[in-house]
Amino acid sequence: MIEISSDVIRGYNDTIILFILLDEPSYGYEISKRIRSLSEDKYIIKETTLYSAFTRMEKNGYIESYSQNAENGKKRTYYRITQLGKEYYLEKCAEWNLTKEVVEKFIRGDK
Amino acid sequence: METIKNYLEAMFANLPNTVEVKNAKDELLSMMEDKYTELINEGKPENEAVGIVISEFGNLDELAESLGIATVINQEDESTDRRMLSTDEVINFVADYTRRRFVLAFGVMMCIFAPIGPIMFSALGETIGFGRIELVGVLFLFVFAAIGVGAIVFSAFMNNEWKFMDKELCTIDLSTAEAIARSKSENQMTRGLYLTIGIVLCIISIIPVIVLDTVFSSGLSFITEGIGPSFIFIGAGIGVLLIQMSSAKDAAYSKLLSLNDVNTVAGNYEPVKKERKNYVSSAAKDIMSMYWKIVLCIYLIASFTSFNWGSTWLIWPIAGVLRKPIEKILCADRG
Repeated sequence: MIEISSDVIRGYNDTIILFILLDEPSYGYEISKRIRSLSEDKYIIKETTLYSAFTRMEKNGYIESYSQNAENGKKRTYYRITQLGKEYYLEKCAEWNLTKEVVEKFIRGDK
Repeated sequence: METIKNYLEAMFANLPNTVEVKNAKDELLSMMEDKYTELINEGKPENEAVGIVISEFGNLDELAESLGIATVINQEDESTDRRMLSTDEVINFVADYTRRRFVLAFGVMMCIFAPIGPIMFSALGETIGFGRIELVGVLFLFVFAAIGVGAIVFSAFMNNEWKFMDKELCTIDLSTAEAIARSKSENQMTRGLYLTIGIVLCIISIIPVIVLDTVFSSGLSFITEGIGPSFIFIGAGIGVLLIQMSSAKDAAYSKLLSLNDVNTVAGNYEPVKKERKNYVSSAAKDIMSMYWKIVLCIYLIASFTSFNWGSTWLIWPIAGVLRKPIEKILCADRG
């Protein structure tokens, strides 16, 4: 079975997470669940990948974290996107469109 | 769920005990917990749920950058040459530390008790009309002061066998550290109780003298002049003892926990920040290290020159209160 290229996806983990945070603030597991369902089970993000993305993006000022009690009373760290994060997201979208366009030119389904 | 916790614990066992590492561990556990709960709710058997969670956990190397632990993951940690304290040693240390604190507190209490002799015997002398008996009281004062000062000096020489803890790098293993952190938080209640009773005793020690003065307003000077005022010193003495003892265990636990700094293994407790005091000069440092000995000297000189043992004990609580501000002044700003 073919799997997605981990090298390529690595450069877009931030974009994927920021996309989910565009709608509303969210927490670790919910984000990973939404990535999974939006990718139709094709991409399952690892916990360590997710966490290192959170800390990196928070350091860069793309997201902010705050703790909040969830419905079941459990204390969770929520993340929300910042203005800087939105700008970065748009940049990454433009970058991807260009990348896709270039790579597409060299892709041929048949032999 | 235990399996997942243990797995995470094992993954993090060799990482340094920093706030970043603890946050990462908490956050990862929270995510794994959520995933596990959902899998179980979907009707997956426990084994399978645990398997899925662990297989999707990822790789610690990915965290290296965000935790600033790249060096630790890539090389043997250097904590091997530290002296490891055994659980027995840790238990003994807490006991010895508490005992030393008790001897010190006992000494202070005896010094506070000292004026009771002259007060009681001068009141007795007045009552029975034999003034010379006051000298017995003075004798009592010297005996109490001698025992008190002796105990204070002796306490300084106790625990020499633990001196190595200040000299060489030591560490305690993860489970011991966790146990100590637990004991420390369990001890908070006792600590607060001792402190409260101690302070209350100091305050209410004044009550007997007021009550006795009102009840026996005429005559019976032995009770109003002798027993009443004595209660002040008994109350204050025991109160000060309790106040000092209240923090004894806590201080011992903190000292033990501070042995494990950022270079040692990660635990589930916040490492106690080692209080590194940067004094403005080495003279300032020397003064602070001899603080209580200087206070003792001032106490003795003031007491013997003024012969006012009744109020000189106030030097102790005043010195206790002044210690922190003085330390602040003598410490250079930590920038």
